[in-house]
Amino acid sequence: MPSATAIETAIEVRGLERTFGARKALADITLTLPRGAFLSVFGPNGAGKTTLVRVLTTLTPPSSGSARILGMDVVKDAVELRSRIGLISHNPLLYPDLTAEENLLFFAEMYGVQDPKDRVRELLASVELDHRRLDLVRTFSRGMLQRASICRALLHRPEVLFLDEPYSGLDPHAMDILDGLIDQIRSEHTFVMISHDLAKGLELCSHALILARGKVVMQAPRAELDDAAFAETYRSVVGMGVA
Amino acid sequence: MAVTGGTSGRAMSWRQFRAILRKDIVMELRTKEMVTSMGLYALLTMVIYQVALSQSGTAFDPRLIAAGLLWLAFVFTSMLGLNRSLVHEKDQGCLEALLLSPVDRPVIFFAKATGNFIFLLIVEVLTIPVFGFLFLQGRGFGGQFWMIPAVLTAASLGIAGVGTLLATMSVNTTGKDFVLAVLFIPLMYPLLLAAVSATTAAVLGGPDAAAGFWAGMRMIGAYDAIMLLVAYGLYEFIIGA
Amino acid sequence: MKNRVTGVLLVLGGVLTTVSFIVAFFVAGVPDFGTVTVANEVQTERSLIEIAAEGFKYGRPDWGQKIFYFHVPVALSSFLVFIFTAYYGARFLLSKNREFDTKARIATEVTLVFVVLTMITGVLWTKAAWDVWWEWEPRLTTYFIMTLLVIAYFVLRNSIDDEERRATYAAAFGILAFVDAPISFAITRLIPSTHPVIERGGLETPMLLSFLCGLFGMLMIGYAVYQVRVREEMLKERLESLKASLEG
Repeated sequence: MPSATAIETAIEVRGLERTFGARKALADITLTLPRGAFLSVFGPNGAGKTTLVRVLTTLTPPSSGSARILGMDVVKDAVELRSRIGLISHNPLLYPDLTAEENLLFFAEMYGVQDPKDRVRELLASVELDHRRLDLVRTFSRGMLQRASICRALLHRPEVLFLDEPYSGLDPHAMDILDGLIDQIRSEHTFVMISHDLAKGLELCSHALILARGKVVMQAPRAELDDAAFAETYRSVVGMGVA
Repeated sequence: MAVTGGTSGRAMSWRQFRAILRKDIVMELRTKEMVTSMGLYALLTMVIYQVALSQSGTAFDPRLIAAGLLWLAFVFTSMLGLNRSLVHEKDQGCLEALLLSPVDRPVIFFAKATGNFIFLLIVEVLTIPVFGFLFLQGRGFGGQFWMIPAVLTAASLGIAGVGTLLATMSVNTTGKDFVLAVLFIPLMYPLLLAAVSATTAAVLGGPDAAAGFWAGMRMIGAYDAIMLLVAYGLYEFIIGA
Repeated sequence: MKNRVTGVLLVLGGVLTTVSFIVAFFVAGVPDFGTVTVANEVQTERSLIEIAAEGFKYGRPDWGQKIFYFHVPVALSSFLVFIFTAYYGARFLLSKNREFDTKARIATEVTLVFVVLTMITGVLWTKAAWDVWWEWEPRLTTYFIMTLLVIAYFVLRNSIDDEERRATYAAAFGILAFVDAPISFAITRLIPSTHPVIERGGLETPMLLSFLCGLFGMLMIGYAVYQVRVREEMLKERLESLKASLEG
């Protein structure tokens, strides 16, 4: 159960490592994120961003160190934690051969959502997909897929949302809609976003972090950040390429 | 928990089990992908059998090898179906979404295995009359009829259970269907041997039929019990990797 | 220390296996297999070549039966080594320590060598005993399946890129295969079929001696080869991690 500090702290990571043999995917990651914060994680391909999110979303156990989200350990309290976090990935994570409504109802069942039908209707209406709810997801455009995917992630009213490059592959219009949606739910959620897009990531975040070769290169609250220096560090790190 | 209300763990697992199973059935009813491809494949196998038996002459009693031919068709069609069923999950990263939900991993195993079991059974039930019609006309059925569904159910249980585990692995490999075949057939060998023996006893009948049938069934039961337990134990490791 | 033990075991294993062979040819009698009855004593005054020639001439498979002292130890050893595949597989799944994966893999490599040897000697044996090159006899069938399982283990490994996933899947399959092999054996024996089942009785002292020498010799060789390979792999991995740390 959440301890007293957890009320304030959404994410607390200490000495997190993820290794296999000689390869270190994550090395000694330590970070603390207050509730309601928006963390943007930058870094080149293979820096360990996805691994970090996989560990934080309980999909991959850490090799050593600890990670607590909302006061719950990602290994010991995994099942309970899963019902309080959500993930929006660049993959829609929806079954193409089910309709939007069937998809969401299915995931509502998996999360044990109460009054699933009402909840699904409400969410679909909020992303303006109500008129397409009986259509197969297969027939959706990229933007519609992403909107439906957001509904899936929000079904169970998660407190912490993970965004894995949510903007990749979106056209400008879809990006605007996604911006609007994030803006709407911004106040009630804690966010962790992986991004390639420095400008976009910085625009949204309250905290920023650069990851390279599994290590934290730079980490600071947005207010204390020197944009030029940050951009410079990011560029030098991208030049380092894959670990 | 804020949203999930007061449902107990077991009730929740049951609800999730039904949700996954229903989703697989709805998808199958919509696309009819698995049953059509498996059924067609079984039919094609019958054509090959006709060719294989074309020179055997009229004196040859196909009942002697009927069980073997049937199980051969079932093994290959089941691999087709198992592969399909996991490719669905993998396609758009849906498996990941499933793993993100608060579900105990064995629930996923049981739900997927149950779905595969049902589809396999449907294809088997459709194939047998066709096979009988094509190859066994006028030969008569020696044993008792209830023996056939009994063997089908028992052996398909093992095929679906172990097969679901293996397909979960093979779907993440570079040579999906090939790898599945290489892993699946040797592991299935004892089950198939027992199933063919029990089925043959049922088809031929005779004074020793019941003894032979039960000997086979006992071994199918033992295989199912041991291998399903191991598969169940290993599934959590496999699906998380 | 471990190095020397390995060396000693390798030599000792070689010596024991050789002793087993010599005992088998000059002292031990010929076991009685299934439907084939053979002379119980081999006349040691005559040369081996003569015995062999006579054996073939009269269809007496003396020569061929001697393969028993090689075949059975190899077969038993292969299964004993296979235990390590499952054991280290389970340890890997519980710890995710890469070392156990390496050990499981090498144990499976050694199993493959032994299983292939079993198959070859088995084929020679069936030729001698029943005058056919292949017979679906329960033991041979089981080893045939086991060969396929071990090959499947490596096919699986080679078709996965991600190291940790490869190790996890291989461990799981190793355990499944290890459980499946005895079931195969039990079922091939118990299912009524047209193929022969050999009931083996007790062995007389010289036969038993020769047999045990062969068995322990083979096990020692297996263990030594396993140790050498493990050491080689560990060094390779250390090199790899040193390289990685230099880059980082």
